[in-house]
Amino acid sequence: MFGHIFKYEFLNTIRQKELVFWMMCFPIILGTFFNLAFGNLYEKEEIFNEIPVAVAEIKEDSVFREVMVSLSKGDSPLFKVQYTDMEEAEELLKNEDIKGIICVDDELSLSVAGNGLEQSIIKSFLEQYEAQKTIITDTAANNPEKLQNVIAALSADIDCIETKELSGGNMDEYVQYFQNLIAMVALFGTMTGLFSAISNEANLSAIGARKCIAPTHKLKSIVANLLAAFCAQVICVFISITYIVFILKIDMGDKIPIMYLSGAAGSLLGVSLGFFIGSIGRMSEGVKVGISTSFSMFCCFLSGLMVGNMKAVINQHCPVINKINPAAVISDLFYCLAVYDDYSRYMEKMVTLLIMSAVFTAGGFLLTRRKKYASI
Amino acid sequence: MAKTVVKIENLVKRYKDLIALDHFSIDIKEGEVFGLLGPNGSGKTTAINCLLSLLTFDKGTIEVFGEKMTPDNYKAKSKIGVIMQNVAVFDELTVRENIDYFCGLYIKDKATRKQYVEEAIAFAGLEDFVKFYPKKLSGGLLRRLNIACGIAHKPELIILDEPTVAVDPQSRNRILEGIQELNRSGATIIYTSHYMEEVEQICTRIAIIDKGKNVAIGTKDELKKMIRNTETITIEILSVSQEITGKINALEHVYETNFADGKLVIKCSGGKHNLVKILGILSENEIAFGRVYSELPTLNDVFLEITGKELRDKEGQ
Repeated sequence: MFGHIFKYEFLNTIRQKELVFWMMCFPIILGTFFNLAFGNLYEKEEIFNEIPVAVAEIKEDSVFREVMVSLSKGDSPLFKVQYTDMEEAEELLKNEDIKGIICVDDELSLSVAGNGLEQSIIKSFLEQYEAQKTIITDTAANNPEKLQNVIAALSADIDCIETKELSGGNMDEYVQYFQNLIAMVALFGTMTGLFSAISNEANLSAIGARKCIAPTHKLKSIVANLLAAFCAQVICVFISITYIVFILKIDMGDKIPIMYLSGAAGSLLGVSLGFFIGSIGRMSEGVKVGISTSFSMFCCFLSGLMVGNMKAVINQHCPVINKINPAAVISDLFYCLAVYDDYSRYMEKMVTLLIMSAVFTAGGFLLTRRKKYASI
Repeated sequence: MAKTVVKIENLVKRYKDLIALDHFSIDIKEGEVFGLLGPNGSGKTTAINCLLSLLTFDKGTIEVFGEKMTPDNYKAKSKIGVIMQNVAVFDELTVRENIDYFCGLYIKDKATRKQYVEEAIAFAGLEDFVKFYPKKLSGGLLRRLNIACGIAHKPELIILDEPTVAVDPQSRNRILEGIQELNRSGATIIYTSHYMEEVEQICTRIAIIDKGKNVAIGTKDELKKMIRNTETITIEILSVSQEITGKINALEHVYETNFADGKLVIKCSGGKHNLVKILGILSENEIAFGRVYSELPTLNDVFLEITGKELRDKEGQ
């Protein structure tokens, strides 16, 4: 009986075009747009590392030449240098083949064709070079015994901030958009859960009435129905994760199997929350859909899925909300997975999520079982 | 003596100030086709929903197959099949899948269920549509699918709540024949409708319900005997004087005469050869007349006389 109900409820859910669009197509479309938007930003950052410049040497400066050679080599070169005469360099600048001309004479001078980040970097580099050259020249002239120390001090990278690696995951801000997208798909489960509840309510659907008069134990019927909704939801979340990780090739860290597990857990919370909302009171279907949608959106808003720093604000003023907000719990699950190497915080979130799912499911069932209606 | 299948006693159901069922009582025996006849809003569906333990009620008792009906009386529920007023099928399951789903809620054995599903498909005449989704079916076919889903598990008690609403005449006849066939195969039927012709055609016993009250109960002949009218004679005539209508009124079994819109309507209570006597008066007075017809009382006449109003709204007819 359980398998029978599960089979047909699953088929009925997975064949619903609207559901498939919102659970499967919408995240794929949104993920593709995210990738188009943020992927370009990322590529721009890669190009930004290599700034094309021309060096016109009126007077030979072997030190400068050596510095420029070292800066145009390696894995992430700063400059792509072309040595040429002034006339050709100006032609290259005019054609925007280069971002600036460094003229090496008694002093270094810079010609650029506009303002921008790359021009500022060239300018900043030249100023730093000139300053360090002056220090070294002065020291060599006045305190030659300290020259080695000065060169060593200038060469050393002084870093006031110590970088501490938290995990092997990708903490790029744009990756969090994809994590939030997966969390959102999981939270879409509220609609699947809601419709499962409605399809068991005699006052809200004719099918609900027919189920209520059948000699099937309510718990068995509801659990089979919810399991079918959950499985359909999990399939959609898994497809979204697969698309993001393997098709869009977004670097979501090295814990992909656990990410799938988190997607399934998030779906469980979404479906059980929807079921609970659907089981409350004797409101009409429209009212319940309205409450479910508004509640989900509000949860997403509070958890920062809409406004970036909202979660931090909530954490500062009323941290308990973040602990019980389903959207925050789901997004935290993915965040913990990406940020922390150890699983203690992740497990804490997972346990919270499972407890909430159990409470919502049990609550929904208690509200539904042996239910008789004042009106149908 | 036939067993009592459904026993409802003094059922009272209130919606705030509105009394939907007012001390409603019925007793349905095994093998009956029991009709619940009443206008829209009279309380038929409310009574059915209370019987199925879907609705709470304020007072009264309901027993089905000799047991008190509760939401978890699965034994009683397993013997009941319901065809709802609203079509209750899954849009995303095919005809066969829908019937199989609902049959599976009652029948656990796969082989038996498969056989029952095929029989239900044949019963509803849906053989050519088994792979269709409900949205592709016409209104009549959809109603037939709704019926197939309700009866596939071969219930002992079948409740049909206005199953022919918005159905074409061909499908309606097929549905009515099907109900009689189910009854012949041993099922007890409760049939609610506001179509008196249907109730008259298939029901062995009828309860007339109005404003939540059971105003009359009996076979159709018993119900018709409850009223004064036994024959209504209508004569198309251009004009008639008061003297003539007075003579007709004076006949022994005539109790009401009305002339309006070129029609003289005479109501009789008992007696024989009333039509011959009336036409004799018209002939004696050399009054020309057109078509003449005599009608026996209908359930609508019964309802009209008992409640003082028509069974159906004029526009609904």
